[in-house]
Order: sequence, then C-alpha cells, then structure tokens
Amino acid sequence: MNPAIRTSGLGKRYGETVALDGLDLEIRPGEVYGYLGPNGAGKTTTIRLLLGLHRPSAGRAELFGVDAWGDPVRAHRNVAYVAGEPFLWPSLTAGETLELLSRLRASDDERSSASDIAYRERLVQRFELDVRKKVRALSKGNRQKVQLIAALATRAELLLLDEPTSGLDPLMEMVFRECVNEAKDRGQTVFLSSHILSEVEALCDRVGILRDGRLIEQGTLAELRHLSAQTVEVTFAGQAPAPPPLPGITVVATAPNTLRFQVPGELTPLIDALQGHHVLTLRSREPSLEEIFLHHYDGAHDRAGR
Amino acid sequence: MRILTVAFAYVFAIYSYIQPSGYRAAYPTRSDRLAFAHSFATNQGLRLLYGRPHDVSTVTGYAAWRVGGVLALAAALYGLLGAVRLTRGEEDSGRFELLLAGTVARRTLTFAALAAIATGTAILWVAELAGLIVAGLPLGGSAYLALATTSVVPVCAAIAAFAAQLAPTRRVALEFAGSTIAVLFLLRVLADTVDSLGWLRWATPLGWAEQLRPFAHPQPLVLLLPGAATALLVALGSRIADRRDIGTGVLPARDTAPPRPRLLHSATGLAVRGQQGVLIAWSGSVAVFAFILGTVAKSISPADISGSVHNEIEKLGSGSITNPTGYLAFVFLFLVFAVSVFACTQIGAARQEELDQRLETLLALPVGRGRWLAGRIALAVLAAAGLSLIAGPLAWAGASAGGAHISLARMIGAGANALPTAILFTGIAALAYAVAPRASSAITYTLLTVSFLWQLVGSLIAAPRWVLDLTPFAHVALVPTQPFRALAAGIMITIGVVSALAATRILKRRDLVGP
Repeated sequence: MNPAIRTSGLGKRYGETVALDGLDLEIRPGEVYGYLGPNGAGKTTTIRLLLGLHRPSAGRAELFGVDAWGDPVRAHRNVAYVAGEPFLWPSLTAGETLELLSRLRASDDERSSASDIAYRERLVQRFELDVRKKVRALSKGNRQKVQLIAALATRAELLLLDEPTSGLDPLMEMVFRECVNEAKDRGQTVFLSSHILSEVEALCDRVGILRDGRLIEQGTLAELRHLSAQTVEVTFAGQAPAPPPLPGITVVATAPNTLRFQVPGELTPLIDALQGHHVLTLRSREPSLEEIFLHHYDGAHDRAGR
Repeated sequence: MRILTVAFAYVFAIYSYIQPSGYRAAYPTRSDRLAFAHSFATNQGLRLLYGRPHDVSTVTGYAAWRVGGVLALAAALYGLLGAVRLTRGEEDSGRFELLLAGTVARRTLTFAALAAIATGTAILWVAELAGLIVAGLPLGGSAYLALATTSVVPVCAAIAAFAAQLAPTRRVALEFAGSTIAVLFLLRVLADTVDSLGWLRWATPLGWAEQLRPFAHPQPLVLLLPGAATALLVALGSRIADRRDIGTGVLPARDTAPPRPRLLHSATGLAVRGQQGVLIAWSGSVAVFAFILGTVAKSISPADISGSVHNEIEKLGSGSITNPTGYLAFVFLFLVFAVSVFACTQIGAARQEELDQRLETLLALPVGRGRWLAGRIALAVLAAAGLSLIAGPLAWAGASAGGAHISLARMIGAGANALPTAILFTGIAALAYAVAPRASSAITYTLLTVSFLWQLVGSLIAAPRWVLDLTPFAHVALVPTQPFRALAAGIMITIGVVSALAATRILKRRDLVGP
C-alpha cells in the first residue's frame, strides 16, 4: 500500500531564499502526523508543494503514490485541505460555500450521498456555524470553521491541515480535537501543521520538527522524549545540600529544601549522588513537547551564535 | 491611487495634444474649417458624445469642444474611482482600521483622502495644460480650458465619497456613485441634443464644464457651482463619517441570504455567479448606449460638404459619417473597443482570484488549472459575444424609433463585428496573465489603449499604411458601411485562440503567486 504522503529530497527555493531543503517524509495511512516549527520554518511551503500549488525546485512529493505536481487533479481526489488563512468568496453564504466545496470535490459519477450531507449537518451544529450568513460578514474564526467543516465532511483519506485552529475559540478548539480523533478512528490520515504544541501533543502519533527549511527531528513522542532530559525534583528534610557536581546534569534550587535536576539519559548517577541525604520526596517528570521543542531551538541559537 | 493618477494624467496629456494637432493637420485652411463647422456643429450624434460645440471653425474652439467634452467624462471617472478607492478601498482592506487604532481621527482620514484627490486634480490640470500648450494653444485659454475640465473631478469625487459613506460595501459604493454620474451624463446628453432641454445643462457638473465656455465666451463665475457642490457634499459626507461604524455604511449590508446553489456546480459556474452583477451592468449600459446612438443617427444629415472635407473625414477612419449608417459604423468602432475592454476585465477578474489567493482554495480541490482558466476564458468570450449581439439590434431599434431605416441584419453584423477583436485581446490578456500575473493588467490595458489610440490618431494624421497596420483596430471593417473582413477576423481569432491555449499550458507550469 502506498504511503499517504511520501516526499524524497523535496526542496524549494524562492530566488535566493531556501524555503525547504531536502525533505524526506513518509507518512503511513491512518497516521496522525504533527508538523512543528515556528513561523517561517517552511511548514506552509511544504503544504503548497504537497498540493502541487508550487513547483518543487528539487525532489518530488507523492500523495498515495500520485505525483503532487504532475497530476494534481488525481492527487487531490483523496485529499482535503484547510489553509491557515481562510480565502473564500465573500458574496457566497457559508452554506453555499460548503455546498460548492463539496460539489467540486465529488467526481461526476459520485454525488455526495445523503449520509455525507447528514454528517455535514452534524458538523455544522457542533461547530455552531450560521450557514445563512455571507462569508463577508463572518469573523476569521467563523470562516475557519467553514473550511474545517468542508474538509472534515468529505471524509477524505488524507486531511492536510495548516494551522487549522488559528482564530478558533477554546471551545471550538475542543470540538476540532474531537473531530480529528474521530477521523483517526475512521482510519483517515491527518497531517497537522502547527505551532501550538499542546494541540500536537494531544493529537499526534508522530511528530516532525522543522527548522529553517530542514527536518531536524522526527519520531513518536516517546522517542523524542528519550532524546531529551527528564526533570527530577528532590525535596530534602531540612536545608538542601550543596548541589553535587555531576557531568551533563544541570541543577537549580527552587526552594530552600528543594533542588530541580535536568537529567539526560539514565538516572543512576543522580541516585548515586543522593546516597546518604535525607530525601523526603522524589518526583520525576518526562519532558513536555514544549521542552523538547525549545531544547532544539535553543541549541540552534547556540550554534548560530558561535 | 498613484497608478490611477499616472494613467489618467497620461491620457489627459496625450489627448489634449492630439486633438488640436490632428485638427490642424486635417483642416489646414480657413475654408476647410468653416465647412467642417457647418457640417459638424449641427451633428447631433457628435454632440451626444462630445457636448455642444461653441465654435469649431478655429483650433481653440475645436479643442474646447473635443478635448473638454471627452476629458470632462474622464475627469468624472477619475474622481469616482479615486474617491471610492481612497475612502472605502482602504477601509475594506482593513488598513483604515489600523490607522484609526493609532492616534489619527477618522475625520482627518476623510480629509486626507480629499487632499489626495485635490493633488490628483492638480496633476491632471497640469497634464492637460501641457498637452494643449505643446499643441500650440495660447497659455491663458489653455489654463482656463484645463480648469473647466478638471472642475468635474472634485464634484464627482465628492459624490463618490458621499456614496461611500452610505453604501455598506465598496462595490455598492461604486454602483451608487457610478449610476449617479451616469445620470449626470445623461442629463448633459439631453441638454445638448434636445434644444428645449438646454436648461438641464445647469443641473450637472458635466454641463457646468460646458457653461464655462473656454475660448468662446468665458464665464468664470460658473466655477462657483462645482465649488459649492463639492463643499456641500463633503460637509454632509464628513458628518456621516463621524457617526457611522467603520467597515459599514449608513445603509445596512445584507449579511444573510437564502441559499442559491444553482450555479455552484463547477469552478466556471462559480465564476458566473461572481460576475453576474458585472455582466448585467455591462449588458444594460451597452443596450442603453446603443439605443441612444441609434436614436440620434437620423439627425446626421447628408449636409453638402466640400470634397476635401469629405476626404478628411474619411481619414478619421469613419467612411462617410454624414448619413445614419456611416455614423453608426463610426460609433461602433468604439463598441469594438468597449467589448475588448470588457473581455480583458473578465480575465482581470480571474487574475484577481489568484492574487486574493482564492484560487489556492479552488486548486487544492480536484480542479485542474488548465480547465479553470479555459472556463474563465470561455466565460469572457461568451459574455463578449452577448454584448456584441445586444448592441446591433438595440442600435437598430433606436434608429427605427428615430425614423432612420437601416437593415436589422446589417446592424446585427455590425455588433458581431466586435467579437473577433475581443477574442484576440482575451487571448492576449490570458497569455499575459499566465506569464506575468502581477504585471499583466498593466500590460493588457496599455496594449489595448495604445492599439485603439494608434488607429484613431494614425488615421487622423495620415500615417503611412504600414504604420497603421500595426494595430488590430486598423483591420476592423466599419460594418455596416464596409463589408465584414473575414480574413482579418479569422487571423485575429486564430491568434486569440492560440494565445489562450498557450496561456492554459503556461499556467500549469508556474507557482501560484502568494500574498
């Protein structure tokens, strides 16, 4: 079976600027993939290449084995896209827009079935969208909902979502998360580009981190955590001792009787060092995605600084 | 706004230079000019287009009539477009809100817009003055003529700015102001063509420009009228501006609508839905103008004019303009131009879909680029065909109502004659868009305008045949006086179709443009 997304050596330069450099991705059907990076890292460029809207300067991108640039119409049959900025037709109503987007998707022989329409109606209710309103009169968040409903209602095999929750309020963001989880249960593949780490952490099986057009880290959350330090907080009976010098481990005093250690790899050296002290509690926590992410970016700044 | 002003200044300078120079070349002697005056001064058809002449047997009088008449209309258009863009354009794109969130009062911004219009008016005045002086007209009279012409700008800008305060969106503002100015133009037309309605000239800024009577009997006090009207409209407009909400008008926008999904089955259907209003407006305008032109055709009398004058008129590219058929053949050359402009605006609308990034939304669906553009081109050509076919029968109906007898079939032919040129320019516009989406509008409209002026000016100054032949308009037969030129039409259609095909290919090979 073809992967939902496969890119090999995918690159894009705009004039002198390299927007994306040698991207190799392979995303299996049914996977929910989080694509992380700050603004300008190349997330949207990647999606434009995946959709065949821009022409790759190097390499190629395939959706379910179909070349994204060479045969976009066939490639898009199984794909629904939500852009970060909703660009819709101001004079159409929200309902007309949904109807238009669904009709343009269906090929001539498969008109949307009654169950599809019923599902769309349910989504409209869940997202609390007023379909009689013209797009011009909708707020950005509401226009974003139009795009989301249109994409989710298609039940396309692959959902390409580019910062889909920008402009949504927290309640609607929860609805969005539910919908993505339902899509996952139905076996749809989701490519979620985002800089909202909690969202990616809550939804995604696998994460890729993009920096300056390059994929610098990729793996499941568990794998990424192994690469990062875990946090260990130790509370002592009475005054905390002077922190022992341990290679690779950083330490801060957070209270008179508490020390917080950042430990990469095994905990053994720390446990050994704590021998003979009165330890009241010892709490260890895995790094959040945010910490992993910042770890990678701080590293980047250090390297760039040198 | 800068581009708009530069484009209009260019037109003002060139036109005010060409007209007196052309006249001087075409009618070198006093007797030629008197004969011209005799036949043209009474010509209702020309009065309709250019206004009432006061004295066309002199270069200055001719300039006052032709330059003043046409450029006053251009000035009205400039005021309208400029004011709506400055007031509602900025606001609808959100820039206004950014400024207001700062420390700028909204009234200041309205006045800033008016200051920009005033500057633009001054630039147009200088452009026209320069053109007239280079053409050898006296300084004082030229300055006054240019003043008369540009006096139309502030009034029309104030009308548009006022409409912009009322209308809920920019488009509606353009419609309000545009139809008001169309009515003002019709008032002037009535005043100039129906003798008993001459007093209507006092009711329209375009008539005031005539009443100033440059070169003939100057009446500078008339300038008080545009001054007072502008001040009144601005005062009213800024009162409303202080009270209304940003981004809305006094009149409410309809925010909800019952669904009309009929056309929304394809990308082309969507385009039809989006262009409906434009198509109706163009069809209506073409119908009304064709009918009016038909009605006045009868008043073109075969006056006894000397052979030399007759030859000169023929050089204008109009065959014999002095009978109804010849007159209609001549004014239908403008229809050919208008239909081509329309077709190019349709390609311009397609281009706007890409620049506004809505095309990305479409092409992320299973919609092919080539098919999308082909659909927009087909829409442009079909709509242009519709306009062409409306014009003939309505001009015929007008002519019949006015008592002139012209064959319906020939008038249908005269209308259809506009289509090959429109197909040619549609193809060129599409190609320009596919190759250079950002620059394409400027390229297309410049090419179109230069081609048309080339024909008008080239024939007037009796340019060599090969120079004239460079413009497509030189190959358009003046139907119904001349027979339809099938070969030329065939070549134009072929070039148009080949360019359009190339455009669909090229569009598939480039990146879509981003924001």
